[in-house]
Amino acid sequence: MNSPSSIPVPAQTAIPVTARTAAPSRHLPGDRDMWVMVLGDMLIFGGYFVIFMIYRSMTPEAFLEAQQHLDVDIGVINTVVLLTSSWFVALSVPAVRNGRHEHGIRLVYAAGACGVLFTALKLYEWCTKITGGQTNSEMFYSFYYVLTGVHLLHVLIGLVVLGVVARELRNPARRRVSMVESGAVYWHMVDLLWVVIFALLYVMR
Amino acid sequence: MSTLTPDRDVTPRPARGGRPDVRFVYWIFPGFYAAFGVIICLLTRVTPPPRPDVSTAQKVEFFAQHHTTIQIGFCLLLVLLGGAAITNGLVAYHMTRMSVGSVFAYGYIGGMAVGALPGFLLVAACFLTATFRPDRDPGLVGLLYDLGMLSYNGSLGCFSAAYLALAIAILYDRNNIFPKWFAYVSIWQIVTEVIATQMFVFASGPFAWNGSIAFWLAVVVFCVWLGALMVLLKQATAREPAYSPDRTEETAS
Repeated sequence: MNSPSSIPVPAQTAIPVTARTAAPSRHLPGDRDMWVMVLGDMLIFGGYFVIFMIYRSMTPEAFLEAQQHLDVDIGVINTVVLLTSSWFVALSVPAVRNGRHEHGIRLVYAAGACGVLFTALKLYEWCTKITGGQTNSEMFYSFYYVLTGVHLLHVLIGLVVLGVVARELRNPARRRVSMVESGAVYWHMVDLLWVVIFALLYVMR
Repeated sequence: MSTLTPDRDVTPRPARGGRPDVRFVYWIFPGFYAAFGVIICLLTRVTPPPRPDVSTAQKVEFFAQHHTTIQIGFCLLLVLLGGAAITNGLVAYHMTRMSVGSVFAYGYIGGMAVGALPGFLLVAACFLTATFRPDRDPGLVGLLYDLGMLSYNGSLGCFSAAYLALAIAILYDRNNIFPKWFAYVSIWQIVTEVIATQMFVFASGPFAWNGSIAFWLAVVVFCVWLGALMVLLKQATAREPAYSPDRTEETAS
């Protein structure tokens, strides 16, 4: 896909210089549909976060007491894992833009591996919480399972998205930069949402 | 007569796009959902939902207070409910025009039918029984209240398979019958409606059947989904070629 900067622009004296130099930055990475998904999804999660804060402010002691049973270490490890995977995805975009497709595919696989690791850690964390007696009968843990569960579903959808990106990159006839950009936009959203969930559930005192 | 007035603008009005039979069926879609909205919101009082955390006496009182409108509303819904199947059929019809073939359309129809049983029919039977048999044991009337509402709202996840079939079909489709963003909106539907399973655990708070997360956020997303579907179906109907050889052969054979 051509970026606007590669399209020859005829000289137009009427257009101010600032407008012409600003044109290349208007390129929207990925496709419009994916941005509808990402912004809408963030709106829905925003709703969850606001509702969580409202209920937390009603019974702050109970929420703080329940929060003590969460393992911050595993939360930090998961945050690092997901940030690393986002870094791999971010690196894959310029790699593909510059025609280094094999390198791009390897980076997408590395990001996917981090996503699988995140999922495994999250399932392990859930198992220890459930066997430890922290179930959704407590309000805090109900929020915990719903927020992390919906987020984990997004991670799994993201793994499918990364799989589709890798499949398209392997086939020279189907390679599209916009596809890689869309996948990266989605994966960054998954990462961003996790950082907020981590802050709200694990860190906030 | 236009032949006698050559300077008059004789440009014919552009023909309305699409097939007349599909256009006719399309109008059943907004018609059914308008009737459905009136029935569930104004008549049967299931949306906004009555409180889950009330005593048995208050549940009996709820049915006594609203028995006439509940009877009118749910009897009307039992007659009109086939309209939901027709609207699902219209979505499936446009899905068969996609490049993916008809297998996802069958999945959509089947999935929506599964959701309609606990989602509409069971609550209608429960509320009608409670209002037509008011002399029953109050404990049983209270059970019908819980069963009806938990079935009506707690079963939202039953539609997930249908939404997934629709989303996958849209993402695979190369004919652009529906825009890709609508596939993502359908995936939000799955996510927000699966959370409704929490309603069985909680009698109050954000995850109860009248809760902000389990119910209201899901309702907002459903309204966005339904509103978008209404517009997109209209556009898809208008864009369909009025004469399609494939369709004609199908009906002729």
